[in-house]
Amino acid sequence: MRTLEEVRATLEIAKLKEEDLQKTIHCLSFGDNVSSADYCLMELDDTLCKHIEAGQSLVIRGDKDERAVLCSGDNTYDLKIADTSNLLLFVPGCRTPDQLTNSQDSSHVAHTQIWGFCNSYWELRKHRPKLKKLKKILMENPYEGPAIRGQEENTENRYTMEDLLERIQASEEEIKTHLETIHACQIDGYWRVLDFDYEMKLLGHVTQLVDSESWSFNKVPLQNSLEELAPLEPKEMIEHCLNCYGKRYNENDKVFYALHEDKVCRGVALMLLQNAVKFNLREFQEVWQQSVPEGMSTRLDQLKSVALVDRTSRPETICLLRVEDLPEDTLERFNHLFTLREKWTEDDITPYIQDLCGEKQTTGALLTKYARSSMQNGIKVFNSRRPVAT
Amino acid sequence: MVQIVVRGSVDGSSPPEWLLVELQGEVITRHNSGLAGNVMGDLLYTKEGVPVLIVGHHILYGKQVKLEKPFAVLTKHSSHSQDSLGSHDNSVITQVPMETNQQGPTSTSYSVSALIKRKLIFKTRPKPIITNVPKKV
Repeated sequence: MRTLEEVRATLEIAKLKEEDLQKTIHCLSFGDNVSSADYCLMELDDTLCKHIEAGQSLVIRGDKDERAVLCSGDNTYDLKIADTSNLLLFVPGCRTPDQLTNSQDSSHVAHTQIWGFCNSYWELRKHRPKLKKLKKILMENPYEGPAIRGQEENTENRYTMEDLLERIQASEEEIKTHLETIHACQIDGYWRVLDFDYEMKLLGHVTQLVDSESWSFNKVPLQNSLEELAPLEPKEMIEHCLNCYGKRYNENDKVFYALHEDKVCRGVALMLLQNAVKFNLREFQEVWQQSVPEGMSTRLDQLKSVALVDRTSRPETICLLRVEDLPEDTLERFNHLFTLREKWTEDDITPYIQDLCGEKQTTGALLTKYARSSMQNGIKVFNSRRPVAT
Repeated sequence: MVQIVVRGSVDGSSPPEWLLVELQGEVITRHNSGLAGNVMGDLLYTKEGVPVLIVGHHILYGKQVKLEKPFAVLTKHSSHSQDSLGSHDNSVITQVPMETNQQGPTSTSYSVSALIKRKLIFKTRPKPIITNVPKKV
């Protein structure tokens, strides 16, 4: 190991004056395991840094065909390797001037080891999680209600949360939020989506009960609902339906639900729109209003991202178009939308591209990048940048 | 799908902070004997806090920089234990599609060994140190 004398000799040759320097001189050498050490560097953002400082773990998730992503408890990041032409050395024991005490009177050597080195690092970029797969795999075996006597329940293709974490490239928190969005529930420890007709049947029971009992749809008593509907459906499913379509609250030690007007109207609209390719808009609006609970008002804007209105056809029409059925990849999504309709107004297309926005990205920015704009009858419309067969 | 854990600390504490030294180019040993155990050079600071590195016959001046994005230093562990959540071995994470390697019970995991928030970067051209200065006659 180098001595102070040897270091002083080097300083002299290098024409550095000891009095111009701070007292601690680090003599750097490579540790014994420096070449075999399996270190790598990962760039962090503020959120992840705090995460790691709190000692929390992260998970890397990837499929055979998919790129790897890094998940914290509630965020998903794309992983990419970045090369640098520089050499990066890890020196755990090295101090910077602000950390040196400089209390000693004379110079001294601090023998410091380099534990590892590399010339590349992992770059992270926050990514919207790939959740489309979640509904897809849960739809392999949707729950259609309790098994009818004599009929065996289909126990294949059922997934617990652990199973889902194994298959979906997203954080647990993101998965949980999405499960709520798609009205999934846990049955026997497995996460299940409801078969659409069954979900509508449950909603129908609830809305009919509210009407026949003349309850305000803002004050639906849980206990009474469960009692009245128990002969028809399992209590858990009635409660699940209320949770999906209403907000739970307590009053005078009793549990009530305030049914969410927009969600109920949207559900009823979906039920009606399912049955044909296109509907006469006016006829649809009449039937729709008649089908929702007393006191609720239907509005077309409740159907943003689930239905598309065509105001250019005579008569005007409406059809089912759910954003969750569209491609997840941005370019594929735009191609699909432009195949369905050549030109879109910003109002019409925004609900169908909102979920594509990355952090701090606006739909306007997406449109600028993926579409071309023009004026039609004084209104700005967007069409594809490339020829698309409609 | 493969799941690989990047472990934080056992007790919820923050990992230690290491210093990063960034150099341009490569460091090779004179006799190609490998780096392990060899001295690299001397690192000193001027009274103003400027880091100076003497490596071989060169002197480099650098500066201390706070990293815009901190780094985590991950240590890879390949073991036969239950460290990873899948039962597949995953060799390397790159930006290309991952391959699941079906052989053997080895599993991969990572742990966070340290955080790096600052670095000493030496970007200026190394100045050669002339050892034999001819004496004035």
